[in-house]
Amino acid sequence: MSEEWRLLQTGYAKAFTNMAVDKAILVSHSKGLVPPTVRFYGWVPPAISIGYFQSLVEEVDLKACQRYGVDCVRRITGGGAVFHDKELTYSLVIAESHPSIPKNILQSYGRICGAVMKGLEQLGINSEYAPINDIVTNCRKISGNAQTRKHQTVLQHGTVLMDVDVDTMFSLLKVPNEKIKDKLIADVKQRVTSIHHCLGKHIRFTQVADAMRRGFEEEFQIHLVEGGLTIEEQTFAEQFEKETFLTEKWNRKR
Amino acid sequence: MQSHSVYKVPQGKLLKINLEYDETTHRILHIRITGDFFAYPEEAMEHLEEQLKDTPLDRKKLLLQISSLISQYHIEFIGLNAEALTQGILLCVL
Repeated sequence: MSEEWRLLQTGYAKAFTNMAVDKAILVSHSKGLVPPTVRFYGWVPPAISIGYFQSLVEEVDLKACQRYGVDCVRRITGGGAVFHDKELTYSLVIAESHPSIPKNILQSYGRICGAVMKGLEQLGINSEYAPINDIVTNCRKISGNAQTRKHQTVLQHGTVLMDVDVDTMFSLLKVPNEKIKDKLIADVKQRVTSIHHCLGKHIRFTQVADAMRRGFEEEFQIHLVEGGLTIEEQTFAEQFEKETFLTEKWNRKR
Repeated sequence: MQSHSVYKVPQGKLLKINLEYDETTHRILHIRITGDFFAYPEEAMEHLEEQLKDTPLDRKKLLLQISSLISQYHIEFIGLNAEALTQGILLCVL
């Protein structure tokens, strides 16, 4: 019989809640309180997350975000700034020692991205892993991923782009050189794609989630059992949201 | 003296350095390392920044200090390395 992992479908939430919940699962799993967990979620309102090492004020046009009603949050994972709008975000929390997780960090990115690729395949999209942390289809990015390891536990979260609005994204992010902004936007439009663009039709969030669920089950040869956050995870999440992700101290720490 | 550099790490990520240094002694007063790279454990980066204070802005000495801090704090970089970090810092004073 295949191993059972937990599936959490937490729906749409604010950026601060989303990041707090991922951290809560990480802490809970590291204490042995919950099984390996796959989570699918979305962002309402749309939000920008920045990598742990990025500077909020250097990367994000905060006034524009305020005008558009877009929230901003710093992740506990490295990587770049992401505009989260029409996408499915997944997270996987699992012990570093789990036999399915390569010890080598880069290899573990590839392995976990394999689940997303199998999920995309369910939707009829062939893709490949593009190190360090992207998944591409026809040389265009459809998924970005970021991983941290804390308390002997791996947290990897990533986006699966359902649709993409590069113009809005660039009105929210700062570019190093305003003079070449138009060219940069044109370049990114060539380098990024989405499920909508690949298939020529809109796919619902739940359909993408079903496909990703099968992708994770196939890649890791496991059975995902739908569950909810434990009381302890909810308490952790509320605490992390309030004490970390909602605070200026955290979000402006760089 | 305050300075800033942006350096695309070959085969890696974008590194941005904000540097404050003493023009007379040519040593680091304060440094902030930002970018879209990955470093494990993430929090070790703050120690590295702190420990780089007073390091001479000389390629060999800087690289030696960075390499020794990386091993001291067991830092694993992805999309960044000691040489690129040294280069990014020196770009601030070129």
